[in-house]
Amino acid sequence: MTDYSEIEERVVNVVAETLKADRGRITRESRFVEDLGADSLDMFSLVTQLEDEFSATIPEQDAEKLTTVGAALDYIRDKARSAEPPPGR
Amino acid sequence: MRHRAVVTGIGLVTPVGTGVAEFWNRARAGSAACAPLPEHWRLYYEPQSTIWAPLPSHDFSAFDISRIEASQLDRAQQIALACARQALDAAGLGYELRDAKKNTFAVTGVDPLGFGVFVGTGIGGATTLLSTAVSHVGLPLLAGLDHLRRRLAEEGTSPDALAEIEALRSGLRAPARFDTFAVTRAMPNGCSAVVGIKYGLLGRNATCAGACAAGTIAIGQALRAVRSGEMTLALAGGVEYLADDWGGVFRGFDVVRTLVRAGDDPARANRPFDARRSGFLFAEGGGSILVVEELEHARRRGAPMIAELLGYGETFDAHSVMMMEPSGKHVERMVRQALDDAQVTPEEIDYVNAHGTGTTLNDETESAMLRRVFGQHPLVNATKGLVGHTIGAGGAIEAAVTALSLRDQTTHPCVNLEEPIGGLRYVREQGRFRMACALSESFAFGGHNAAVVMKEIRP
Repeated sequence: MTDYSEIEERVVNVVAETLKADRGRITRESRFVEDLGADSLDMFSLVTQLEDEFSATIPEQDAEKLTTVGAALDYIRDKARSAEPPPGR
Repeated sequence: MRHRAVVTGIGLVTPVGTGVAEFWNRARAGSAACAPLPEHWRLYYEPQSTIWAPLPSHDFSAFDISRIEASQLDRAQQIALACARQALDAAGLGYELRDAKKNTFAVTGVDPLGFGVFVGTGIGGATTLLSTAVSHVGLPLLAGLDHLRRRLAEEGTSPDALAEIEALRSGLRAPARFDTFAVTRAMPNGCSAVVGIKYGLLGRNATCAGACAAGTIAIGQALRAVRSGEMTLALAGGVEYLADDWGGVFRGFDVVRTLVRAGDDPARANRPFDARRSGFLFAEGGGSILVVEELEHARRRGAPMIAELLGYGETFDAHSVMMMEPSGKHVERMVRQALDDAQVTPEEIDYVNAHGTGTTLNDETESAMLRRVFGQHPLVNATKGLVGHTIGAGGAIEAAVTALSLRDQTTHPCVNLEEPIGGLRYVREQGRFRMACALSESFAFGGHNAAVVMKEIRP
């Protein structure tokens, strides 16, 4: 079972650290560029940090759509939901 | 009017220590770095040289580099920032936060337009480039192997075949993802750029690519810029990071048989200017950056003065990308040019920090040249005996040693020197010496030769 509140916590942590944003200012609706002051370098870094945090690959065409905290959160949740179970033997 | 330049601050990252205090204490005690190669490099290649000089730490967070910044920077760039911060602090130059989000600073009390950055490097971010190539090619290959293994498992292939695929897979040490910052980490000029950005320095910003002489060339460029009045201050030196995860850069040096043979006593194998030397000790990386400052500017702000930077010489062999010109005539021409530029005679040089790699040809050619130019008067030592060969950082680390030696009127001994060649006055033990003028020289792959001349600061 994936714990969604745990995912949310981790996404917010990544956003706060990468964008040096006050955690209190980060909501689902926060736009990375307009509200949290991200420039394009920050956006590359944010995607990279999310990939590292969740051991996921985020293709460029998906990354472009991640413009808000909520969009990133939903994307990571979907990834976690559709992820294959680890191979067992 | 020709301005005079002084060294007012030094930063160091080396295999024998980080920071002037730690490095200088260990160096003077003759503490040398040496360790077995990373075991996993042998997955790809059986090395001829089996030892190296690793860095004690990769954590440069103490120098105001956040985890996120570090993830965007090549290690050579992180070393540049670590050295720059130390040098600014040592020179008594203050800074204030310029942009909290970007974690950038502004140096206070100086004109940023007159503050340049000159950083030498041999390969820049080449280890990033290698890891980019491996992830670019390796990740699809790994996915293919995983797919093949699953299919064969479903089809009931023998466990042996599956184990073979598993072994292939674990041998392919690909990074987890393609590096988004591949270009800005790999580009050689990133080394000076990140320093200029971090401290808001708007003066000339140049990266000098000159292999093993790069650090010396960068300091020479800084001296010329300060002397001409183009710059008032400069952060100048060299940085290098050579350890890709697969030992590929190491292999490049190893296959051309430039590296030391460990022999029966690995800890004593690295022995510049000894008859039984066998090559240079490959270093993981390192760096040194000096604050080079116009003398009157340094006086006005009461800066600590470590040594005067007196002259610079540079020549080219036009002989071979790999081999030194064996007569030594072009390194001699370079040394005489540096002395002329400094307006000192060979007799006035009391100390030479030699290039001293420990290869058969270098030490033979260099010791004969030093004997021709200087006779037996100057003290001679080789810092590569302690830290190994840091390529583009070497000249800068050695310039730092030269400046500190003049300041403290003492220097580090040559290590593992049992049968000295060339009849020079090698430093055999730590002690007090009288040193007024000194020379630090570097000779590079490609055929670039460079040296700086320094003078003690008299109270």
